[in-house]
Amino acid sequence: MSQNESARNKSSNFRFSRRGFLAGACCAAAAPVLTPVTFAAMPGDNRFVTIILRGAMDGLDLVQPYGDPAFAALRPKLALTPDTGLLDLDGVFGLNPAASALMPLWKAGHLSFVHAVSTPYRDQRSHFDGQDILETGGADKSQKSGWLNRALAVIPRSDARKAIDINTSMELILTGPNQVDSWSSQSDFSLADDEIAFLDRLYSHDPLFAKAFDEARTTDKAADLLYADAKRGSGIADMARLAGGMLREQYRVASFSINGWDTHVGQAGQFKKAAGDLATAITTLKEALGDEAWNKTVVLAMTEFGRTARQNGTNGTDHGTGGLAVLAGGGVAGGKVLGTWPGLGEGKLLDDRDLMPTGDVREVAAAMLYRQFDIKPSSLTSRVFPGLGFDEGSVFLKG
Amino acid sequence: MALARPTLAAIRYGYGLRPGQDSPSDADGLMNQLAKGIAAKDRFPREGLVGRRETATRVISLRAAEAKAAKEGKPNENIRKETQREAQRIYRVDAMSRLAQAIHSPFGFYERLGSFWMDHFSTSALKSLPMRMIVPLYETEAIRPRMAGSFSDLLKSAILHPAMLIYLDQDQSVGPDSRAAQESGRGLNENLGRELLELHTLGAESGYTQEDVRAAALILTGLTVDNRALQMVYRPRRAQGGTITLLGREYQDDEAGSQDHMRMLEDLAADPRTAAHICRKLAAHFISDSPPAEITDVMIAAWKESDGNLGDVYRAMLDHPLAWENPGQKIKQPFEFVVSGFRALNLPDTNMAALLADMEADDDDVGPVGKAMQMAGTAKSAEQRRRRANEANALTLGALQKMGQPIWQPPSPAGVPDTTAAWLTPAQLSERIDWSRRVAKILGQRLEPADFLHAALGDAASPETARVIAQAPSRLHGITMVLSSPEFNRR
Repeated sequence: MSQNESARNKSSNFRFSRRGFLAGACCAAAAPVLTPVTFAAMPGDNRFVTIILRGAMDGLDLVQPYGDPAFAALRPKLALTPDTGLLDLDGVFGLNPAASALMPLWKAGHLSFVHAVSTPYRDQRSHFDGQDILETGGADKSQKSGWLNRALAVIPRSDARKAIDINTSMELILTGPNQVDSWSSQSDFSLADDEIAFLDRLYSHDPLFAKAFDEARTTDKAADLLYADAKRGSGIADMARLAGGMLREQYRVASFSINGWDTHVGQAGQFKKAAGDLATAITTLKEALGDEAWNKTVVLAMTEFGRTARQNGTNGTDHGTGGLAVLAGGGVAGGKVLGTWPGLGEGKLLDDRDLMPTGDVREVAAAMLYRQFDIKPSSLTSRVFPGLGFDEGSVFLKG
Repeated sequence: MALARPTLAAIRYGYGLRPGQDSPSDADGLMNQLAKGIAAKDRFPREGLVGRRETATRVISLRAAEAKAAKEGKPNENIRKETQREAQRIYRVDAMSRLAQAIHSPFGFYERLGSFWMDHFSTSALKSLPMRMIVPLYETEAIRPRMAGSFSDLLKSAILHPAMLIYLDQDQSVGPDSRAAQESGRGLNENLGRELLELHTLGAESGYTQEDVRAAALILTGLTVDNRALQMVYRPRRAQGGTITLLGREYQDDEAGSQDHMRMLEDLAADPRTAAHICRKLAAHFISDSPPAEITDVMIAAWKESDGNLGDVYRAMLDHPLAWENPGQKIKQPFEFVVSGFRALNLPDTNMAALLADMEADDDDVGPVGKAMQMAGTAKSAEQRRRRANEANALTLGALQKMGQPIWQPPSPAGVPDTTAAWLTPAQLSERIDWSRRVAKILGQRLEPADFLHAALGDAASPETARVIAQAPSRLHGITMVLSSPEFNRR
C-alpha cells in the first residue's frame, strides 16, 4: 500500500516544499480571513477531504427519488422528473440539474451518493448541536474534539504535526490534540441566501435597520460585495483550488465548509445556488489536484441532518432527520446510489415528516478512512467514532 | 421598556458588557469609574509622556535638518523614509493600544468620556508626520486627566496644547501688526479662533460675529509651538498687541508675556452659551439625538452652580431618572461598535498583542518583533506574514477605517457625526456585518450563540432576536447575527 512506501514527508522537507508552493501563483494575492481550510500532512499518497454542508442540505432535492411513487405529491413545487430537467442516475434517483457539472464524474465512476443517512442526533433539530455531533463524531455532545483530528492519531505512520497558526480559526472536525494547519484562500465569501434570509428576519423588528439592510442589498451591491453571488462562486472555487493545491503537495487531509443550505423559504432558487457551489467545489478540487492525485482522493460531503420530506407553506423545507452524503474522487467505486432506501409512502416517514434514517453517516466516514488510510476497524470504532458499529464488511466500502 | 441598570450603564455609558467585568448600577458607580480611570495609567503613548516628547522632538529635528540640507542640494532620502516609517509605526502601536485600553478597561465611563472630549477637541494625526506622535500625547496629557474638573481648565489644556496649535494652524498665525508680520510678510490665520467659538465653546449660530472670530484669532496671536521642547510658547514678536474687543470685552496684552488669551478662554468657558452647548452635546451623545430638556436643564443648572465643574454636570445627568430610561436611541459609532464587539467576545489581551505583532511583522523592514520571531525560528514566509498582517488589520484599524472612524483621524475639526442618520446607513451596516463575520470566524466558532447573545446584551436582547439567533443555520452565522443585531448596534 502506498502509505507504507516511505516516510518522505518528514517535517523539514515538508516545510521546504510548502514554501515553494506558496511562492507559486496559487497564493499570490492577499488573504482575508473568511475562508479557512484546515489541513494535515502525513505519509502516503491517498487523500481525504471532508466538506461540511452547513445549514442542513436537502438530500431529497439534490438526489431526487423520482421513482418513489410518493415523492411528487410531497413536493409539488420542488419535485422534478427527467421530463422536467432532472438528470437520471439509475432509473429511480435523479440529480438536480443545478449540480449538472457533477454528471461527468458520475459517468466516470468517480461519484456516489449515500441516501437516508444521519448522525445519531435526533428530535431536537438544532443546527448548532447537529453540526457539533457531525464534527465530533460522537453519539451525543460529549465528544469535544473533532473525529478527523482523532483519526490523524491512528493513521499508521502518521507524524505529529506542528501547528503554524494561532489566529486563524479551525473547524471543529479537525480540532483536537493532533496538530493541523489552517490556511485561508484569497477570497472573502459573500453571504449565502439563507444567511441573508436570516438577517432579514433579524432586522424585521427594527424598521430603520430593516430599511438600511434592504437598501444595502438592492442598491449597494456594487459598493459592497457581501451580497454578490458571482463573488460567492469565485470564493468557493478559490477555496477548493487552495485545498486541491495543498493536497497535491504534502498535505493529505483537508476540510472546509459550504453554507447556504437552510432553505426554509423559496427553496428552488436558494438550493440552485448552494448545489452549484457544491458542484463547483468538487470539480475545482479535481482540477487542482490533477488526475494522478484525484485518483487517490476521496471527498466526503455531509450535512448535520436532512430536511422535511414535505415542502412547507413557503415553498421551502424545514429541519428533518435522514440526509444525504456525497462521495467523490478517483478513490470512490462510484456510479451508485448507496444506502437503504426507506421509502416515502404512508407510514414510512420518521414522525410522519422526515426521511427515515437507515444508516449512520459516521459509518460512511469510517469506511472512507479505512479505505484511504488503512486504519484498523477497532481503532475506528473505539477512538475515532466511539461506539460505532463498523467492520471490513461495511456496505459503504462498496461505494 | 426598562433595562436592568447594570446593562444600561454598560451599554449607554460604557463600551458594553464584558464577561467577568461588573457593571455599575447607579451614578456613584459610574463616577467612581471616572475617578479610577483618571488615576490609572493610560496605555499610550507607548514610551510615556517624557519618552514621547523625546521621540517626537528627535524626529522633528532630524527632519528639519534634512529639509535644510535638501534646500542646499543635499537631500537625504533615507532620513526622510526612516523617520516616516518610525512615526507610522509609533502611530499604529498607539492606535492599537487605544483600542486595547477601551476593550480591556474596567472604567467604561472614563473611556467613553475620553472619546467624547477627544472628539469635542478634535485634532488629527493626519495633519503632519509629527502629529502621528503628538496626538496620542495630547489625549493622555491634555484631555484625559482634566475630564472631571472645571471645563475652563480642560479648555485651556486642550487649546494651548501643541497638538491643537498645530492642527488648527495657530503655529502659523501672526498678528498683522506684529514685528513677525513686518519681518516675514506673514499674517493672521483665523482657524483656531473660529473653531474656538464655534466648536469648542459658544457653539455655532450662538450670536457671535465674524469680527468676534477675528478678535479671538488676534488675541491668540503670539501663541505657537516650540519644536525643540514640543511645548506651547508665547512669542511677543508674533503677537498683535494693543486692545482687542471680543464679545464686548476688551483684552490687552501686557509686555511681560501675555495672559490675555487665558482670560479669553476663561471668559468663553464661563459664557452661558458654552454651558448650554456642552450640556446639550453631552446628553445628545450619551442619551438621544434629541435629549429631553429636563435632563439638559439640570445639567446646565449644575454647571452654573459649580462654575462649570464637569463632574457635577455628569452627575446631574446620571442622577436624572430619564438617564436610565428609553435605551437604544443612539447608534454606536464604529469605534464603539468594534470595541464592544471585542468586549462581548472577551478578547484576551494576549490576542491583541498577537494582532499587533502580526501587523508589525509585515513591515518591509522587519521590526523588533519580526527579528525576535526570526530568532525564535517562528518567522513566517513573507506571503504568510502578509496574510496575517492583512487579517489583523482587517479586524482592527482597517475595520475602523472602512467604517469611517479611523483612530485619531477625525474628518474635520468638528469631529465625527454623532447622529442615528449618520451611522445607520446601508454601507455602514454592510461593513458591520462583514466585520462581525470576520471576528466571529476567529473568536466565535466555539461559542453557543444563545450564551453569546446573553453575554453581549444581557436583558437588552429582544425575544425576537433571541429566536432568530437560536435558529441560525450555523454557529458562525449565529454569532455574526448577535454582533450585527439592532440591539448590539444601538446604545
